Amino acid sequence: MKDRFVSVASRREVLRFGAISSLGLALSGRVLSGSDTAVAKAVGAVLPQASSPLHSAGALTFGADNVLFVADISGAAIHAFALRASDITPQTGIELGNFHNFEGRDLVLGLDYKLAALLGTTVDNIVVNDMIVHQPSQQIFISAERGRGTDVVPAIVKLNHGNLEVLDLESIPHSQVALPNEPDKKATLEFEPQQRYAITDLKYYNGEIFVTGISNQRFASTLHRIPYPFNGRMGTSSVEIWHPVHGEFETRAPIVRQLIREVRGEPYLFAVYGCTPLVRFPIASLKDGAHVRGDTIGELGYGSNPLDMMTFTDPFEHKEYLLVTIDVRSASRIGISDLESAQAEPTGGPIDFGPGGLGRTQRDLPIRAEHMAILNPRWAVVIWRHPRTSYRLDLGTIMIPYFFDRRFGMSEMNWPNGPDPFEYRKHRNEIDHS
Amino acid sequence: MTEQPTLTINGDPRQPRSWFVGIHKLPPDVIGSLVACPESDRLLQAMLRVRVIGPGVPEGAADDLPDVAGRYYILEDGVRFIPRFPFEPGVRFRATFEPRQIGLPQCRESLACEFSIPREIRGPRARVKQVFPTSDALPENLLRFYACFSEPMQRGWAEKHIMLLDAAGRPVPDVLYRPPLELWDRSMTCLTILLDPGRLKRGVGPNRALGPPLEEGRQYTLAIDSGMLDMSGRPLRTSFRKTFHVLAAVREGIAVEQWSIRLPRPKSRESLDLGFPRPMDWALLWHTVSVASEGGQPIEGHISIDQCERRWSFTPKSFWSPGSYCFCVESSLEDVCGNSLLGPFDRPLRSTGGRGCKTARWSRPLLIA
Repeated sequence: MKDRFVSVASRREVLRFGAISSLGLALSGRVLSGSDTAVAKAVGAVLPQASSPLHSAGALTFGADNVLFVADISGAAIHAFALRASDITPQTGIELGNFHNFEGRDLVLGLDYKLAALLGTTVDNIVVNDMIVHQPSQQIFISAERGRGTDVVPAIVKLNHGNLEVLDLESIPHSQVALPNEPDKKATLEFEPQQRYAITDLKYYNGEIFVTGISNQRFASTLHRIPYPFNGRMGTSSVEIWHPVHGEFETRAPIVRQLIREVRGEPYLFAVYGCTPLVRFPIASLKDGAHVRGDTIGELGYGSNPLDMMTFTDPFEHKEYLLVTIDVRSASRIGISDLESAQAEPTGGPIDFGPGGLGRTQRDLPIRAEHMAILNPRWAVVIWRHPRTSYRLDLGTIMIPYFFDRRFGMSEMNWPNGPDPFEYRKHRNEIDHS
Repeated sequence: MTEQPTLTINGDPRQPRSWFVGIHKLPPDVIGSLVACPESDRLLQAMLRVRVIGPGVPEGAADDLPDVAGRYYILEDGVRFIPRFPFEPGVRFRATFEPRQIGLPQCRESLACEFSIPREIRGPRARVKQVFPTSDALPENLLRFYACFSEPMQRGWAEKHIMLLDAAGRPVPDVLYRPPLELWDRSMTCLTILLDPGRLKRGVGPNRALGPPLEEGRQYTLAIDSGMLDMSGRPLRTSFRKTFHVLAAVREGIAVEQWSIRLPRPKSRESLDLGFPRPMDWALLWHTVSVASEGGQPIEGHISIDQCERRWSFTPKSFWSPGSYCFCVESSLEDVCGNSLLGPFDRPLRSTGGRGCKTARWSRPLLIA
């Protein structure tokens, strides 16, 4: 007897009649009572396979109207997923921590282990590439990959009240734009090895996305500026910077992280490079075909790589800051008003090998997150390795503006009869961490 | 006697993506109630679960981890679970069927099946085929190596397993750049390894503090440990070592005028050879130099690169017709130090901007007669 399709619910998809009827459902996996393992063997089957448009899942950013942009290095493309109301679950009301006591909260313990289980693999085969917050709903989205080779399985996962859920990308309205990746002419010749443009970051501003990256063969920095909705147009500029510590030399280098902000009514792209200059480019200068020299306004310290770049407002003094997290150093906090007023470091002046410019007035913050994003005015979210559980990744909150979690400290204030200058005890029992 | 439900794992061994889990012989009334239930998703997820149990998952830990993501399909006599992402070969899974979740009185016992999809391991273990530049004498301001492997590799292991050693065999710290992403080509067989540009650029902080990554007159070894893993998770057949000594830095742009040209005879399929006074970047040579007819039409043919990247040869598919040609060089061509046609990698600041990124190609006429 043929099986018959009997139900379609919103989260179940139609298994087509033809596909089912062609199945020979031979049984082979042994039914076990104990723990022995059978290697499954069976006959051919035709099944509907999910066909995500992604080949890989890298940097993420949100645009207007809940459009989620995903950088796809293997696919050499930027994808736009127009999330529907059903794709977003508001996370307001979630307990985020005890703000008064500088105590964050773990939202996911063992994020990498849980992603591995969800995606059907083992933890050594999971890579977390980026995290972003959908601000209106405060829902966290993560780009992750299963596998490390040419068989990578990409996924966008969202956090829903502590549970990880895979976003059903194939059902979401989607468009994409190809990035110039391979030499597109002289196809009659042989091209090995292939050029590849590794997208380091993408950002949305006012109907356009800005894409930065590094090529495996060309060291020079290329920046793509692409209107959305995609219409086939793309502007490509090459950018270079003056390094204040150079004295008399200029440099080319790839932008690692970027952030777009208006300064006195004019939009600027702020970029951080490896090793770690902070540079300002007027958006208006990033025209197709232009070679643009940015103004270096800070030298944040060498020997390190930037991880994330964001802005926040100090809830106490109501001052706005730029925050750059860095891999082997403290995070760097710089006043937005300083970004606005900073003069470009003089070119051709005497050698000053830093920290320079705004790097001299930056405040170091004790953040060691692998990924970080601002959740709301009081809390940031981090993906980090706890010192005592470094074998796993955790996802949790840390309070703004100190980005410090008292739970992990060991100071006299934590003892029952110790001093209590911040009135921790008064707020001690305000949340339940269990 | 009522038939008991069965739990099966099905798929085609020739198609690793085809596997799924099925429950069969469910009574019609149970199917009917599942179809009618407004919360059937929740019921199905509780009734039929698939979890990763290994390798590397401690006993009992699987219970605290999420189930494998998948979709449920209700059939006439059963339910099918299709994983959201194909079951990964080599991973051990446990599928469990809990009849109590759907109130099956005649079936009290839960069913469990542990399974793994066989991992197909093909071909020989990977080895390092070649590292470019191939010369054993390299300039102090060398920008990058290319490591070419015989098989597709996994990303994520380079920082741990690729290092530069000094003449005594000790690792030299902070010499190789840690890019935000490992720079593999699409086939995952060629890895770009950059030397720290911060140490290459004179006057930059790291250069001032630590000096250039390589020092003229010294000997180094690029060591690729066998811990680099191929797609199947297997280490390299053997570790790889490339020992070289360091020459003076090269800080000048590429001067095409200094290249030697050996023209082929007309009506032959001899190669057109370009000779360079110093090695060019191996990867860029493949697609930045080309030969065109007088009208600009590319000529089909085969490129070869040898003599330690100091010779580029082009053999046409067809015989050379006597006449005018040109060879074209893209401005993006670099030598092994990143010096390009536009100037040195590390060069004095120009007084004003104004260079376009789509700089014209350099081209030179050739007469084959």
